[in-house]
Amino acid sequence: MSILEHNGAAIIAMAGKNCVAIGADTRFGLRMQTVATDFEKVFKMSNNVFVGLAGLATDVQTLRNLLKFRLSLYALREERDMKPEAFAALLSHLLYEKRFGPYFIEPLVAGLKDGDQPFLCGMDLIGAPVYTNDFVVSGTCTPNMNGMCESLWRPDMTPDDLFEAVSQCLLASVDRDAMSGWGAVVHVITPDGVTSKRLKGRMD
Amino acid sequence: MDTGDSSYSYSLTTFSRSGKLLQIEYALMAVSEGKTSLGIKARNGVVLCTDKKLGSKLVDRDNVRKLESITPSCGVVYAGVGPDYRVLVKKARKQAQTYKLTYGEHKPIRGLVQDAAAVMQEYTQSGGVRPFGVSLLVAGFDDDGPQLYQVDPSGAYYGWKASAIGKNFKNARSFLEKRYSDEVELDDAIHTALLTMREGFEGEMNEHNIELGVVGEDRTFKILTPAEIKDYLDEAN
Amino acid sequence: MRLESILDLGKKKVAAATDELGFALAGVKDPAAYSAANFSASYGATQDVKFAKGTTTLAFKFDGGVIVSVDSRSTMGNYIASQTVKKVIEINPFLLGTMAGGAADCSFWERNLGTQCRMYELRNKKRVSVAAASKMLANTMYRYRGRGLSMGTMICGWDASGPKLYYVDDDGTRLEGDVFCVGSGSTYAYGVIDSHLRRDLTVDEAVDLGRRAIAGAAHRDAMSGGWNNLYHVTEDGWRFLGQSGR
Repeated sequence: MSILEHNGAAIIAMAGKNCVAIGADTRFGLRMQTVATDFEKVFKMSNNVFVGLAGLATDVQTLRNLLKFRLSLYALREERDMKPEAFAALLSHLLYEKRFGPYFIEPLVAGLKDGDQPFLCGMDLIGAPVYTNDFVVSGTCTPNMNGMCESLWRPDMTPDDLFEAVSQCLLASVDRDAMSGWGAVVHVITPDGVTSKRLKGRMD
Repeated sequence: MDTGDSSYSYSLTTFSRSGKLLQIEYALMAVSEGKTSLGIKARNGVVLCTDKKLGSKLVDRDNVRKLESITPSCGVVYAGVGPDYRVLVKKARKQAQTYKLTYGEHKPIRGLVQDAAAVMQEYTQSGGVRPFGVSLLVAGFDDDGPQLYQVDPSGAYYGWKASAIGKNFKNARSFLEKRYSDEVELDDAIHTALLTMREGFEGEMNEHNIELGVVGEDRTFKILTPAEIKDYLDEAN
Repeated sequence: MRLESILDLGKKKVAAATDELGFALAGVKDPAAYSAANFSASYGATQDVKFAKGTTTLAFKFDGGVIVSVDSRSTMGNYIASQTVKKVIEINPFLLGTMAGGAADCSFWERNLGTQCRMYELRNKKRVSVAAASKMLANTMYRYRGRGLSMGTMICGWDASGPKLYYVDDDGTRLEGDVFCVGSGSTYAYGVIDSHLRRDLTVDEAVDLGRRAIAGAAHRDAMSGGWNNLYHVTEDGWRFLGQSGR
């Protein structure tokens, strides 16, 4: 069994019209044992960039700290927020720096580019980026999530519709995955701000 | 910085009793002995101009270049010691490429200037080295618009609307002060640059004994060919 | 070569390729080892073929009889194959078997046990004791030891000697006891049961304890979940108490 499946995760990022959403389950487990049900896997990097980190929990926290450190340094040096494109490049670079001893993380980046255009990006654990216009998924039930997203995604969704789509995709996917679930969080990023909601889910 | 020469490697740049760093002042003298360079920031771009007079007729002009680009949208020129300048250009280019590799986008002009200045400062305090004998004029165009910076051997840097360095820089600057307007367009700025350069020029100025570089709203720093310079010179006459 | 000897050879091959119950055996030198390595229900990291498994089941005795309580999740690796599995096998009106480990192994061999029990009844004109029934299953397991069968079951019933509860597993172990929890979530279930079990529990209290133990295990164990099926065994035989949902 893969070390990427040690703690369990399910993360979906999806694009709407001038908005993006990113949602994740909240389980933290040790293989089959559920230890906590309020574990954060999606982090706000700036007003218009969110990152989702699926994989080994210790690396989730280490990488989150490293990214926040690099982002703060960038903000101080350049007196501006990092654009999602640059953030994805930085993350990819940080992952490849550990090519021969990687962080066990398959991350997602969701954000709004200049002109409020959606930006979505997924990566493998050594930083090979995949850019998409519709949705990206990562975690222990990617077949489930891809299937749900293929079914529920439509072009140009409003923020409300996007929230509904991501939530339904997440909840349905984790119900068929033993390693993820136990509740979820969904963030919707719009030019006017971010709305974050907690979802109740099955607790088994 | 450890030069590796010796474990007793002290800085050569130390305070005099009157509180001056003489090595830096000597470096500035080397700069003011160098060929004149000047830059003007216009509303929609920046122009750099430098005197490229050579010591001998026999030097092949085509192989001498004083203007260099660091990123596609940033160019630089100097006054002072040529070889020192090339070391700084090499370092700046490497830093710019590292940034591009990390963030996937071009390094902002201010970042380039800050890092070049940091290198120059380091050489005023490290053991076994001397300060760079150059001042730089850095021109670029990024998200913050057109920019012109000057970096001195001490590591001090300033943003300028127009500046001149090297031989005759004081006269050139007062000429620029009289001529400058905040609303100036790039073409007019090029014109002003040529007039300013000609003001203190020894001998006849032509397309072969000056260099001209411009960056406009296309964010591309372009070093002009002698033919292009000639067109501007003809306009100026 | 004469035709008969060719046919003989063929017969021998066929005879050698099935065991006494008619199971086809793999054509390798050591079919048992081959089966254990590749078709074990307790698949490890190296096995490609994954069977449905993963469970919490429990049964305990008290003054009012035996309570049998199980979850209904079936997993194949991390994938939840089903949330509606019946893990209590009704062997006959007085006997229940529970399912943990390989779903196919449990259902097949407990159905097989049902057959053996019915044969016993017909031959001896009396109901089989829980002790005898569990022993028959344990014997079957012993016969197939080392071939990779996966089964952890509780045989629960009421016979002439009163309420009875046995644990039988794939390596032939057979234990009599008052409380058993079997499956990946068993430790969590033991935690709940051991804290609250008393012999003099009322039936309602005992049923609630069985339900709570499964709910606790379903929460903590990723491989357990779905619904909770509850049975109560008395001297009149077993009674299905229904599904408690979530």
